[in-house]
Amino acid sequence: MKPFDGLTLMQFLWAFLAILGFSIRSNLKGIKILFTALSGGLCWFFYLIVLYYSKSVLFSVFIAIIVVCIYSEILAPRLKTPVSVFVTCAIIPLVPGRGLFNSMQLYIAGDNLNASKTILQTLLIAGTISIAIAIVSSVTNLINKLMNRF
Amino acid sequence: MQKIKPQQVIDLAIEAGRIILQSGGTTNRVELMMRKVCNCFGYPKTESYVTPTGIFISVKDEYGSIFTSIKRIDNRRIGLGKITSISRMVNCMQLKPPSEQDYNEQLIDFEEELKKIDTENPWPSWLKDLCGGGTSGFFCLLFGGSWAEFAVAFTIGVIVTFGLKYLEKLAFNNFLLNAIAAALIVLLAKTIDIFVPYIRLDNIIIGGIMLLVPGLSITNAMRDTMSGDLVAGTARAVEAFFITVGIVAGSASMLKILSLWGY
Repeated sequence: MKPFDGLTLMQFLWAFLAILGFSIRSNLKGIKILFTALSGGLCWFFYLIVLYYSKSVLFSVFIAIIVVCIYSEILAPRLKTPVSVFVTCAIIPLVPGRGLFNSMQLYIAGDNLNASKTILQTLLIAGTISIAIAIVSSVTNLINKLMNRF
Repeated sequence: MQKIKPQQVIDLAIEAGRIILQSGGTTNRVELMMRKVCNCFGYPKTESYVTPTGIFISVKDEYGSIFTSIKRIDNRRIGLGKITSISRMVNCMQLKPPSEQDYNEQLIDFEEELKKIDTENPWPSWLKDLCGGGTSGFFCLLFGGSWAEFAVAFTIGVIVTFGLKYLEKLAFNNFLLNAIAAALIVLLAKTIDIFVPYIRLDNIIIGGIMLLVPGLSITNAMRDTMSGDLVAGTARAVEAFFITVGIVAGSASMLKILSLWGY
C-alpha cells in the first residue's frame, strides 16, 4: 500500500464519518462537530502515513496522537471549546479495540503465549497514547505560563 | 443594597460543577468554573476540591465566616456538549460580570439557563441511535470490513446504542454496564452470523466494541495527572482499566457460552 492513494483517502473518510457519529452521539452541536470529526480523520491518516515510512506501530501512534493533540490545542480555544473535548474525539480511532479483541480470543482458545504478546502490544499502544497526550498538555501548560509571564 | 446569600451561590456553583463532572469534564475545569461562578456573584474567596466522585466547595464571606458544602457524584457518562455549553456560559458571564444591583435577577437567569442546559437535547434521540450505528459501522470498514459487514455492524450499533440508554437508567456500575453491552454485541453478531453467510465476525465485533472503549477516561486521566490532580488522575486511570476489563469479560464469557452451546 502506498501512502496518499485512494485507499488512504477512503480510510480517512471512514474515520471522519465514525468520529462524526461519535460527536453527535455525545451531544456536541454546531460547526465544531466537523472539526472534531476532522481531528479523528487526521489521527488515522497520520497513523497510516507514518506507519508506511517507519514500519513501527508504536512510533506512528505516538506521532499521530501528538499531531492531533497540537491540532486540538490550537483549534479548541478559537472555537470556544474545552481542549479535552477535542482530544477525546481525536484519540478514539487509535484506542486499541482490535488488540483487546484479539488477545481475548487467544486467551479463550488457550493460546497463552500469543495472548500475552498481544496484550503487551495493546498495553504499549494505550501507554503510548497516554504519554503523547501528557507531553502535549504539559508543554502547552508551560507555553501558556511563559506567555503570561512576559 | 441586597447582597445574595452564600448558600445560594454555593448551590449554583455546585449545580454547574455537577453537570460538568457528570458529563465527563476534567477536574481542573470543574474547579475553575466553580471559582468563576462564585467570583462573579461577589465571593472571590472560594476554595474547591474536586475528585471524580465528589465536589467539595467552601466560600468565605466578607465577615470571615465560612460556608462549606459537599456533593456526591454518582454516575458519569459522555456528554461533551454540556461541558462546552456551560464553559461558554460562565466565560461570557465573566467577561460581562453582573452589577451589584441586579445580582438577584442574574442569579435566577443563571439557574434557569443551567436547568435548560441540563435537560437539553440538541439532536433527536433516533438520530443519536443512527449515529451510534454509523460509528460502529464505519469503524468496521476502517478495520478492513466489507460492505455486508458494514450493514451488520450498523444494525448492531443502533441496537446497542438504543439498549445502552435503558441500561444506564438502571444505574449499574460502569463495569457491569460495559460487560453487558459487550455481551450483547457478541450475542447479536453471533445470531446474525447464523442467517447471513460470508461475513467475518471479528471485524463486526471490533466495530461494536469501539462504541464502548474508554477514550474519555484515558484523556481525562492523563490531562488530570499533568495538571497536578493526582487523586483524580489515578481514579480515572483505574476507571479506564476497569471499563476495559468489563468489555473483555463480557465479550469473552458470551463467546465461551455460545461456543459451549455449539455455535
